[in-house]
This record gives sequence, C-alpha cells and structure tokens, in this order.
Amino acid sequence: MHIADGILSNEVCLGAGVIAAGAIGLSLRKLNDTVSLRTIPLTGMMAAVIFAAQMVKFPLLLAPAYGHLLGGVLAAIVVGPWAGCVAMALVLFLQMALFADGGWLAYGANALNMGIVGSLGGHAIYSLISRRFAGPRGTIAGAVIAAWLSVVAGSALFCVEFTLSHHGAEFDIPRLFAVMTTFHSLIGVGEALITGGVVSYLLAVRPDLIDAPHQLPGAAAGLGRVVWTGAVAALAVAAFLAPFASEGADGLEQTADDLKFAALEKERPAPVSDYEAPIPGVDVSTGAWHKVSVALAGVFGTSAVLGIAFVLGRIARSKLVLREVEATHAG
Amino acid sequence: MPADFLDRYSFGNTICHRCPASLKVLLTVGVIAGCALIPVSYWPAQGCLACLVFAGLSLAEIPLAYLIRRLVLFLPLVLMTAVAVPLARGFAGGWETAAAVVIRSMVAFLAALWLVSTTPFDRLLAAMCRLGMPRLFAGLLAFTYRYVYVLFDELARMKTAQRARTFQPQSAWRTWAGTTHLVGMLLIRALDRAERIHGAMVSRGWRGKMHDLD
Amino acid sequence: MSHAPAHILKVDHLSYRYPTGQIALCDVNFVVGVNEIVGLVGPNGAGKTTLLLHLNGLLMGTRVANSAGVLGSTFAEHAQSLAANGGEREQRAPVEVLGMPVTPENFPEIRRNVGVMFQDPDDQLFCPTVRDDVAFGPLNLEFPRDEVLRRVAESLAAVGLAGFEDRRPHELSFGEKRRVCLAGVLACEPSLLALDEPSSNLDPRSRRGLIEILKNCEAAQIIASHDLELVAELCSRVFVLDQGRVQANGPTREILGNEPLMARHGLEVPLSIQYGLEIGKGAR
Repeated sequence: MHIADGILSNEVCLGAGVIAAGAIGLSLRKLNDTVSLRTIPLTGMMAAVIFAAQMVKFPLLLAPAYGHLLGGVLAAIVVGPWAGCVAMALVLFLQMALFADGGWLAYGANALNMGIVGSLGGHAIYSLISRRFAGPRGTIAGAVIAAWLSVVAGSALFCVEFTLSHHGAEFDIPRLFAVMTTFHSLIGVGEALITGGVVSYLLAVRPDLIDAPHQLPGAAAGLGRVVWTGAVAALAVAAFLAPFASEGADGLEQTADDLKFAALEKERPAPVSDYEAPIPGVDVSTGAWHKVSVALAGVFGTSAVLGIAFVLGRIARSKLVLREVEATHAG
Repeated sequence: MPADFLDRYSFGNTICHRCPASLKVLLTVGVIAGCALIPVSYWPAQGCLACLVFAGLSLAEIPLAYLIRRLVLFLPLVLMTAVAVPLARGFAGGWETAAAVVIRSMVAFLAALWLVSTTPFDRLLAAMCRLGMPRLFAGLLAFTYRYVYVLFDELARMKTAQRARTFQPQSAWRTWAGTTHLVGMLLIRALDRAERIHGAMVSRGWRGKMHDLD
Repeated sequence: MSHAPAHILKVDHLSYRYPTGQIALCDVNFVVGVNEIVGLVGPNGAGKTTLLLHLNGLLMGTRVANSAGVLGSTFAEHAQSLAANGGEREQRAPVEVLGMPVTPENFPEIRRNVGVMFQDPDDQLFCPTVRDDVAFGPLNLEFPRDEVLRRVAESLAAVGLAGFEDRRPHELSFGEKRRVCLAGVLACEPSLLALDEPSSNLDPRSRRGLIEILKNCEAAQIIASHDLELVAELCSRVFVLDQGRVQANGPTREILGNEPLMARHGLEVPLSIQYGLEIGKGAR
C-alpha cells in the first residue's frame, strides 16, 4: 500500500505532509508529556515489532494466499493511540529510508493513510466498541472492526489524494473509488483476521499488555447487542459506499469475478514489500447494478468481520474460563 | 540474519558515499520534486534528471543486478496504478497521465534508492536532524533501527523452534493460529525487553531527554 | 581491608515482593566496602537480579526489621506498605549508597555512582553506534562534548576496544557487545559496579579478557554469577542468596569450599578450591 513518488502531485503531497506532520507532532508531544518515561522505549520497540511482524507471511484462511499485517490498530491497542501513531510513523520512515518503500515526498500521504488513520482513527473505533461491551469479547470485536475499517478508510483516503492529484485528467472518479474501497474491504478482512488473532492471543497470555479503555458502567457482553451493532454498522458502511457507486457501471457478476481474480493476484507475497494500487480489473459495461454490488460488498465485509470478531471472542472467552478454572484448582 | 540485510550498499567508499548526507537528502528530494513538477511533454528535462540519477547510481557502484531486481518488484505495481487513469476513461485517453506517473515514479524510486544505498542510517538521521527533524523522533528511529535486528534474530529463532515441533503439514487453521502465536509471542518478548531497556537507560542517568553528540 | 570505616553500599533489612505477591527478597543485610569485590551466588530464581535492581532504585523494596513482617503480612497489607514507602511514610530506605538513602530525590547522584551491567547486552546497547552508546551516560550527566569524548575513548580503551567507536552494535560479537556494555557503565565513572552474570555465554578467551578488565577496575564491585571460578578468582568475600534470603556470608574460600553449604543451595565447590589450586584468590 506504500505510495511511491510520482503518483501524487506535489501539492497533494505537501497537503498530506502538513496534516501528517501535525498529527505526528501532536503525538510526539503527548509522548513527551507522559508521566512514565518507559513509554519512549516502548514506542520504539513497538515500531520494531510492527516492522518485523510485517515480514511474517500469514496464510489467509479464506484463500490459498498470503497476507501480512499492517499493524496500526494493533500498535494503538497495545501502546495507546499516540504512541501507536508515532510507532507507525517510525515504521513507515524506516521502510522509506532503508528500502525506498514509499516515496520521500509521499511520506506524509503514506503516514496519513496507513499510520495515522490506523492508530488514531482505529483506536477511536476500538475504544468506542470495547467500552460498550465489557470483557475480552468487546476488546476483540473492537480490534477486529477497527482493523477492517482502518484499511478501508486508508484506501478511501488514497482515492481522495489520487483524485486531487489528477483532477485535470477527467477520469471516472466514483468508479475508482468504488473499486478501491470494495477491493480493500477484502484486504481489510485479512488485516482484521490477523489483528484479531494476535489480540486474542495477547488476551489469553498477557492480558495486562492490552491498553483496555475504561468500560462504561453497566456494559455487558451480550450476543444480541453485538449482532445489533453489527447490523447497524453494516448498513452504515453500505450507505457510506453506495453514493460513490457510479450511475453507468458494470455488472454484479463481473465485479465478483474480477475481484476474486484480483484478490488472488494481489495477495501473493512480495519478497520485500507490497504495494496496493487501484485494480484495473473492472470492465466497462452498463447497468445500474453498481450501487447494489458495492453495497453488497460492504455488507459482506462487515458481516465477515463480525463473524471473525464473534468466533475469536468465543475462543478467547473459553480460554479465559479455562485459565480461571485452572487457577481455582491450583489455589 | 546477516548483519547487513537492511543496508547492504551504504558502507561503500565512493564519492557518493563520502558526500555529506544532508546535501544528498536535499539533492534527492530536489530531483524527486523536480521530476513531479516538470510536465512530461518536456521530456528532455525528464531525461536529464534520469541521466543524473543513473550517473549517481553508477558512480556509487551499486550493482545493476540489484537495481533490476528492485525495479522488477516495483514497476508492476506502478504500472497498475498508472493504467487506472486511461482505464477509467475507457482507454479513450489519459495515456499521457499514465506515462507521466510511470516515468516520474521510476526516476523518483531510483533517486531514493541512490540516497539510501549511499548513506548509512545513522548519518542519514544526523542529516535529517540538521534539516529539522525533531530530536525525539530521530532518537526513536535510531532505537527502532537498532532493535529491528534483534527482533529479526528472535523471530528466526522462534520460527526454527516452531518448525522443530511441527511434524506434518498442518491445516490452514492451525498454520494461521501458529503464525498468530508467533507474532503475539514476539510482541510479548519485545515489550518485556523494552521494560528491561528502560531500566538500563534509567540506570545510566536518563531522564527523558535525547542528547546528541553533535 | 574489610575494616575500612566507610562502606560504599549498605543494605539493611531489605525485603521485596513482586507485584504478584510472591516474596523475592526477605530481610537481606550486607555491606560492601570501598575497593571491595563481593560475589553474590545462588541458584536460579534466588533473587540475585532483583537484589541488584535495588541498588540504584530501579526497584524499591521496604525495610522490614524482622522476617515475620514480610512473611506474615497479607498481600494487601504489603502493597499498602509499599505504596506508603514511596509516599510520605517516615522510614529509612533499606539501601544506602555512599551514605545516601536510595530515594527518588537522590536518584541522579546514586545512578551516577552505581553502574549496573545487565545480563543481556542487547538490552543495554540501544544506540545506533558504539560511540553513541558509551556516550549515553556521560551525555545524561551533561558533561561538555570534549569531556564526553575523552570518557568514551578512555572507557573503550579500558575494555580493550579502542577504535570501535563507529561500529554498530549488531555487527559485534557477543563478547564485544558485553565489553561495550561495560565501557558504557565505566564511562560514568561509578564508585560501585553491579554486574549481573558478567561471564555468561562468553567463550573462554572473552571470559578471561573480562576477568582481567574487572581486576584492573578501581570501583568496588558486586558480582552476581553462576561462574563460581570467576567468583573464586575475583572476589574477596561471597554471600549466598537462596529463596530471597542471605544464607551465608564470609570469605570466598571459606564459603565456596564448604561442600554441604554449597550442595544445600544448589551450588558446587569450584574445582580450583577443591584441588587447592592458586588461581588468584581474592584479587585484592
């Protein structure tokens, strides 16, 4: 997903750079103001972990392919949003300065799309959800949903930046937007799976490491509420995506086929890095199906994410119960 | 893990390596920005920039095979992005924009590659500091760079240990769970290590300020 | 020499519990004199590292006069007393360095005087180059640049690594890493060195080099180690720590040569003492 130089215009790079510099500067200030000095080595170490973990290939359960972690949400959940934001900025800088992954001028845009949205935005969503639902289930649901949304939001931001850079070229912006976000809602499922898996492992082994926000009084884990919130979220995402679907666009079947093909193509491991780009997979045809297809993709992504959250939550809860039982027997 | 896997070529002794790092940073950013500013219709100017970059790369004695390997990984992704523009117009136009994207990003990529393969990371950081990067950020970058090596070694050891206990091909679910545990364990160990490092830093009088020798 | 009036370190009825409630140290008492090299031996999990972390305030134990105070109190009570100790309760700190109690007000002065070397050199080498790392302590003491560079050069020379300034930590061998750690500690010119397993994982040559460096070092030292030969060679006095308590304390040969005592605490009489070899008993 690293944006190379030359893809965005200088003005857009500058704008994104200013926003990113503001956010990173603010996070650095927050980091400097923390009471505990240990946050500083912790942040650097978190960045090193994300850097190393991005090179671990994850088999994706749904497809015979590999994905890898982005890590913004994971970092924010473990070390908090501000330190998480700085950690992601560090990772992206290192990749740029050691591998030339991501352009020097596009650093601001990269930091914005992958780091700041993932850590600050992701943490906001995570704490919103995990505050409402107590216990490990809420934490995992929050992590999974935030991870998925952060990827989709990052791709949406890229579309905005790309569009602003090439506004003279007069191409079909809504279609680019639809293809990008739909495709990334699939990539996001991978990110959600990995983040959720790692978080549920941490919850089972070292729950003290998770930066759990204070739960609202009376928050209780209830399946009904999770499903209810999920349904609302799915509808919201669908509603969010639908307007971007263009009037004259392609058919549902083609989109599905192309996306499947594209997903296989994209998820192949690249030795050092990977780049995500708008996929030129969607053919030109007519029909009013586009809106529906994008909305369906949104609903599909959301329900897949909810399913993951639910399953992982169950596993983590049963593990915790097991540990409690063992502890009572031991004590 | 070989000690130089992150920066294999940055310790050479050519004129490019000896050049002051801040000059190199400014030069590279200048080339990249210039490349994006010049319209593609002025192709001789673009060509001059490309020649400059190639001259730099050959002066720095960076092996052609390495450059080609990196470009092979890089170009397809840029091509896909570039093709999106004409595609979005039904292949009726937009080729000029696509060509611009490809040429610009290739020159910029090679320029960045020249910079990072002629400058050791600590010099690059010192240069960035002189150009206005916050001290704390530079200190954190140095810290992260240092521990990436340690974590890679740790990751490799953990993978070996895991392989040593895996006797047959596993189901996708098990492999996935195993990989999750690997990353989770790496995270736990690293955070514990960060705690010990904090102890070591405080033991040597650290009170939260990043000092610098220069 | 043990009758020297001033001692550098005084540990007085030190007790410590882990946050989990487990007792780590219980009523530990000892002193270290000027120029003395003291060995700290004991099985794994005896509390050696925990004890060393108290010497510069990385951990803060309580001063409990009798062991019943620690063993009898519930976790909640103890946690309360620990909290109170960090706060305003009038209590003498259990650890004193150069006559100063180890309390947050004295941390800067104490950390300048107590150099702690940790077991894993990777935990201690956190800077991109050897020069930066050795300079870290002096820079924190806010010495001028020339003085910092002088100290870097001097302490690197003292550990036999002159000219290693521009090397990067991940390129060094394990033994070199440990010596750089030692240089980083020596650069603060401490009056007490606390060394945690200084010889672990070293090949014989690096271990020998390290012993020679420590012998030539002027600071008082407290060495926690499983390498009893090293302890026998360097230390004039040894104490045995097991289950958080000082089980024995005395001259090196006497303690390390006491076979029943050694066996009781999971240790062995070093061969040099068993066979009466004179390797260099009590360097000073």
